[in-house]
Amino acid sequence: MGTSLESAADEAERLRRCLNDLVSIMALPALWAGREPSQIVSTLLDTLRGMLRLTFVFARLPDPEGGPPTELVRMAEAAGGAAAARQISGSIDSSLGDAPAKWPSSARVVIGDADLSVASARLGIDGEIGIIVAGSHRLNFPDETERLLLDVAANQAAVGLQEARLLSEQTRRANESERQSRLIVDSIPGLVALLSPTGYIEMVNRPLLEYFGQTLEELRQWGTNGTVHPEDLPHVVEVFTRSITSGTPYEIVQRLRREDGIYRWIQNSGFPLRDTKGQIARWCVLLTDIDDRKRAEAALRQAYGHLAEAQRLSKTGSFITDLLADRRDWSEEAFRIFEFEPTTSITLHTIRGLVHPEDLPAYDAAYERAIEGVGFDMAFRIITSAGNLKHLHAVGHVMEEISGRPVFIGAIQDVTESKVAEEALNRVRSELTHVARVTTLSTLTASIAHEVNQPLSGIITNAGTCLRMLDANPPNIDGARETARRTIRDGNRASEVVTRLRALFSKKEFTPEPLDLNEATREVVTLSLSELQRNRMIVQSEFADDLPSISGDRVQLQQVVLNLLRNASDAMVGVHDRPRQLLIRTKREDPDRVRLTVRDAGIGLDRQTMDKLFDAFYTTKSDGMGIGLSISRSIIEKHGGRLWGEPNDGPGATFSFSIPCCARSVADAESAVKTS
Amino acid sequence: MTVRRSLVSIVDDDESVRESLPDLIRQLGFDVEAFASAEAFLASEFVNDTRCLVLDIAMPGMSGTDLQRELASRRETIPIVFITAGGDRTVRRRLLAEGAVECLFKPFSETALLDALNAALRMG
Repeated sequence: MGTSLESAADEAERLRRCLNDLVSIMALPALWAGREPSQIVSTLLDTLRGMLRLTFVFARLPDPEGGPPTELVRMAEAAGGAAAARQISGSIDSSLGDAPAKWPSSARVVIGDADLSVASARLGIDGEIGIIVAGSHRLNFPDETERLLLDVAANQAAVGLQEARLLSEQTRRANESERQSRLIVDSIPGLVALLSPTGYIEMVNRPLLEYFGQTLEELRQWGTNGTVHPEDLPHVVEVFTRSITSGTPYEIVQRLRREDGIYRWIQNSGFPLRDTKGQIARWCVLLTDIDDRKRAEAALRQAYGHLAEAQRLSKTGSFITDLLADRRDWSEEAFRIFEFEPTTSITLHTIRGLVHPEDLPAYDAAYERAIEGVGFDMAFRIITSAGNLKHLHAVGHVMEEISGRPVFIGAIQDVTESKVAEEALNRVRSELTHVARVTTLSTLTASIAHEVNQPLSGIITNAGTCLRMLDANPPNIDGARETARRTIRDGNRASEVVTRLRALFSKKEFTPEPLDLNEATREVVTLSLSELQRNRMIVQSEFADDLPSISGDRVQLQQVVLNLLRNASDAMVGVHDRPRQLLIRTKREDPDRVRLTVRDAGIGLDRQTMDKLFDAFYTTKSDGMGIGLSISRSIIEKHGGRLWGEPNDGPGATFSFSIPCCARSVADAESAVKTS
Repeated sequence: MTVRRSLVSIVDDDESVRESLPDLIRQLGFDVEAFASAEAFLASEFVNDTRCLVLDIAMPGMSGTDLQRELASRRETIPIVFITAGGDRTVRRRLLAEGAVECLFKPFSETALLDALNAALRMG
């Protein structure tokens, strides 16, 4: 009875303990909420080891992904390490087989040198979650209560692990998704921030953090920490607040302080991200550093400003033009020069309409050549719609060809002021030249007069004295003879003066050298071209390719050419009813002669006065000295050649000279002068 | 008795003038002294006796007009007849305005010379 009482008390105690243990096990899931599977298993094993006084307790959880299973072990003595787990795992496997699902619920297993009673409990219906193996030295392990506790615990653990797995899967997915978005956001080269619907910065990407060199917490103080340039802050706050309040996107260009402390221009764009119900879930903010662009724009604006200013100052417009398509790209100044409204569509017709009538032939000619792809460099006048006369200088060259059509790039300059100045200068210069010529002549005549008058005076005085001496009573014969002798001497002296003068005039430095008449002529044409063009002459040159070199005085021959060009130009000044054509031509005449002709379309020659043309002091011009042609002829004759003029069949005259190309000696040339 | 004839002094750098002109003036009834330069005349003993000065304008060194001014500054009132080979006729008016009796342009006639000398002597 005592034994039964005793065992009844024991039994009660055993039941009470069992209930406590059950309660403890039932309470476990509350501890497991939100824990990792390994933590769950750990607490489970700890609880079972203590509760069932186990020698060891082992759990094996297969990896859902198919990897090696997770194994944990708790030993009576101490927490089992990985090595203990491996030893127990290996012993169990070798004793019970390698398929845990087929392990018996209880068995005896030798682990190390111990012979143990083991009980297994599957986690999950088919042990798919894992298995727990508990071992004890006790031979009766597990008793009924122990089996119950083990099964209940395994059940609880299975449920707990199931939930944990589910949770961890969700968390993992959520984390993965977060990680992916993060990755995407961070790899955006732009600066991105996500804001709450109220404008609180929730998240920024890595480039943004690095750009500003601030933590997220610091960035949230953007309104007060100087990140926004103080000058921009009021505007930024206003726009941002309005946008957040109204839910409309914003775009601000502002300065923000980079991590190096430098404020840079940033384009700040914000737009709301809405959820399925259309509510604003977040704001997305993109910051773009446009400082370099802004600087480039400013530099470009400045450069353009300078260019425009330079064009205005120099009164030079630039243009790109496709003549055939009549498409033009003109600078502002070009519009200003022509006095076109900037909105005007300019056609070739409108420009040509402004060209001065006298310049139209030259303009058209240049245009015709330009269509062929020949560059141009020309001066012409325009009369603007307001009636202003302008002198323009246009230069253009082919920039490219678009479908076979030349596209010109060029500049057009308003040279009116310099032209007017140049004309004034030319007037002064020609007046000066005239004054100088008159001065020279008067000096010359004075000295000639002095030289000649001196002996003439002597002749008259002596002759008078002589007569008086002869008339005296008695006549002073000796005195008369002496004065007569002096008279003869002075006469000779006068004659010498004349000879000396002639020598002075005819004995110009004559320095023959081999020369290319084409080249010498071209130089003269080049030098005279602007003056000729100023007088609206259309100058054409035809130089023979086969011209032999001649021997002559370059400067003197150039003076002749210049004189002929001047005469031609002077003859055409009064011509208004036809082009002022001036043709200068060289050609090989005989095998050993070259000829140069200058043909004009001027007033022409009168056959009757032709012979006088070459007389000194004969002129058909009101302001001429008439000395040019006579000097020219003497120069040509000195070169062993001849100079002549003849009327054209049409209007105008042609003057020519012809000289031998092979050098003749100066003596020959001079004898030619004397015989002519 | 010897009639003392009026002294005409000639200043001209041209030797032929100094050769020929004195003979003619002597034939016209005057005493004559000829000098190759203004400086030579001023240095001579004849300045006070000269009743008329026949003076070339253009000479090396002191010119005819320089001599005219020098004499004026010395308060010598010798009547001056300028002679010149230059072609500039405008000088005559200026020289007359400055007190010259006459300005003759070479070559000049006997008559013109005589008229000028007589005019000068009337003034002296």
